Amino acid sequence: MAAVAAETTTGQSEWEVAVPEKPLKEKVYFENLKAQVIDTELCSRCLTCAAVCPALPEGITLTADDKVGFPDYEEKCLDCGACVRVCPRFEYEPKSGLGEYTDFIAGQSKRFKGQDGAMVTELIVSAIEMGLIDRGLFVGRDNRWATNIFHVRDPEQLAITTLGGTKYTFASVLPELKRAVLLTKSGVGVVGTPCIVSGVRKLQQEFPIFREKVKLVVGLFCTENFHHTEISDYLQKKGVDFSKLVKTDITMGKFIATMTNKTVKFKVKALEKILPSGCNVCTDFTAVEADASVGSVGSAAGFSTVAVRNENARRVVEFIKKRGYADFGEGKPEELAFLVGHKKKRAENIPGFQDQEDK
Amino acid sequence: MKKVSVSEQGLVEKAKRHAAAVGVAMKESVTPLTATVFYPRERKKMPDNFRGYLLFDPEKCINCWECAFICPANAIQMKKAPAPNNRFYPTVDYGKCIFCHFCIDSCSGGALRTTKIHDVAYREMGEMLTLTEEMIEPPEIIREDKKSVEYEIKKDDLHLKRTREVDGLFVEPTPPVEIPMVSQCVDRASCLGCRVCEEVCESGAISSSSAEGVLEAEGVLRMKIDIEKCTGCGLCVKECSMQILRLVRRGK
Repeated sequence: MAAVAAETTTGQSEWEVAVPEKPLKEKVYFENLKAQVIDTELCSRCLTCAAVCPALPEGITLTADDKVGFPDYEEKCLDCGACVRVCPRFEYEPKSGLGEYTDFIAGQSKRFKGQDGAMVTELIVSAIEMGLIDRGLFVGRDNRWATNIFHVRDPEQLAITTLGGTKYTFASVLPELKRAVLLTKSGVGVVGTPCIVSGVRKLQQEFPIFREKVKLVVGLFCTENFHHTEISDYLQKKGVDFSKLVKTDITMGKFIATMTNKTVKFKVKALEKILPSGCNVCTDFTAVEADASVGSVGSAAGFSTVAVRNENARRVVEFIKKRGYADFGEGKPEELAFLVGHKKKRAENIPGFQDQEDK
Repeated sequence: MKKVSVSEQGLVEKAKRHAAAVGVAMKESVTPLTATVFYPRERKKMPDNFRGYLLFDPEKCINCWECAFICPANAIQMKKAPAPNNRFYPTVDYGKCIFCHFCIDSCSGGALRTTKIHDVAYREMGEMLTLTEEMIEPPEIIREDKKSVEYEIKKDDLHLKRTREVDGLFVEPTPPVEIPMVSQCVDRASCLGCRVCEEVCESGAISSSSAEGVLEAEGVLRMKIDIEKCTGCGLCVKECSMQILRLVRRGK
């Protein structure tokens, strides 16, 4: 009766999985990760581990204070080692500098409005129009400026105004990326801070499914990011009304919160107290591992700086040029020198880094 | 103007024709030639694949929801069964059902089956929503029929053939065609090594080299699906978080 269409491609019935080494032999892998990354305050909260953790539905998740945790790991951890395999900070190799790039340009989208030149939106949407990817992951926010992830499949969805603009708040991009990878037909584009980009690269290095499906990784210039509760408490103390807040920005060492009726400005230095420990040990400002990195520094006001790093990103930029979707100008890599250097200095905060230098 | 007149017939011919007419009248008064079935005193005999009232066997239901997905009239909705069994079972709204029986065709467990019942009455619209519990047993039937009727064509005329026996309303369900399947890994490099598949496998077909000390010694985890033991239930396919297991046709 019910003739089920069955797949006829044959798979394997025997296979091998390389198991990573455990520094703490007697403990489960999550405890190793906890000892090596979370307890040493190296964790960047990129959630790469949570994206692959198979101990569903509990598994690696966020704790109440927005840190990575696993409430019941002694009982529930399956001890597979996937989290350790993908964690960019388990055997941390800090990256810094401008990274390799083929083009360093400034762009301003004619179609979209964003933080500066809306080039992140432009890159992802153009990649969808090219057929390179069928969905892009965007970070949106709710009216309390807490982040949430959207799968954008059609430029019309960008009518949601909260998708553009910088939030300065951590987002759970990577768990959603895994869902997107399993759903997609042609490919996924993803936007993220340097730690998220590193997480994506680790996933791609370990698992072919990510290598095949994640086709465009747009990195953001990033000095630091904040836990939602801490930044929102701080901003409220400074007199920011979330219902009227339209834009947050950091320029020239100042945090500027623009509301419909007024703006609140204060020095970024004041936020040092709530600087997440993971950002304190991050040396990557430009997301050196991304396909293309975008930020505001290094170009004129109203433009976004785009560092094109590889063939995929170059093809998307060519497409934008050909269709005339954006105005282009010169990017000034030398303007990034201060912030690149500023982040490079954070290497001092990495435990054991000094020892490595001495050797 | 031309007048139409009856053609001239002989006396003998006229008498013959009258006699024939009287004969037909006499015959009709004794055994009338009619296509009417005197329902409910008699019932038309229905074929075994007649699309009638649905019956449901929860024992055979595998909870795949296929009947609800396929229903073009949206008449089937899944409702949570009362505790302790927390499965979802179909309910049918006969106010919407178009009796296409796609649900039966889609039922891979053979839990849904047809009957020859076509005459169900309800007092109000709300009653037409038939709950799972009401679908297990056939509805209350008051049978007044003593004969069953079949149509047959004789000498270019439709004749009713009446038999004294009463037609059964229930048919044995056709057993579903089983396609032998087996679980296979289609992307071994993306395996996390979490062994969830091994844990959920009820037939013990999936095994791994995760025994004490073996992993540390070898630094590699060996996974194996025993094709002989695999029943093709698909539990491992459902639980694999990387979606790298598939059911494939056995013996290819």
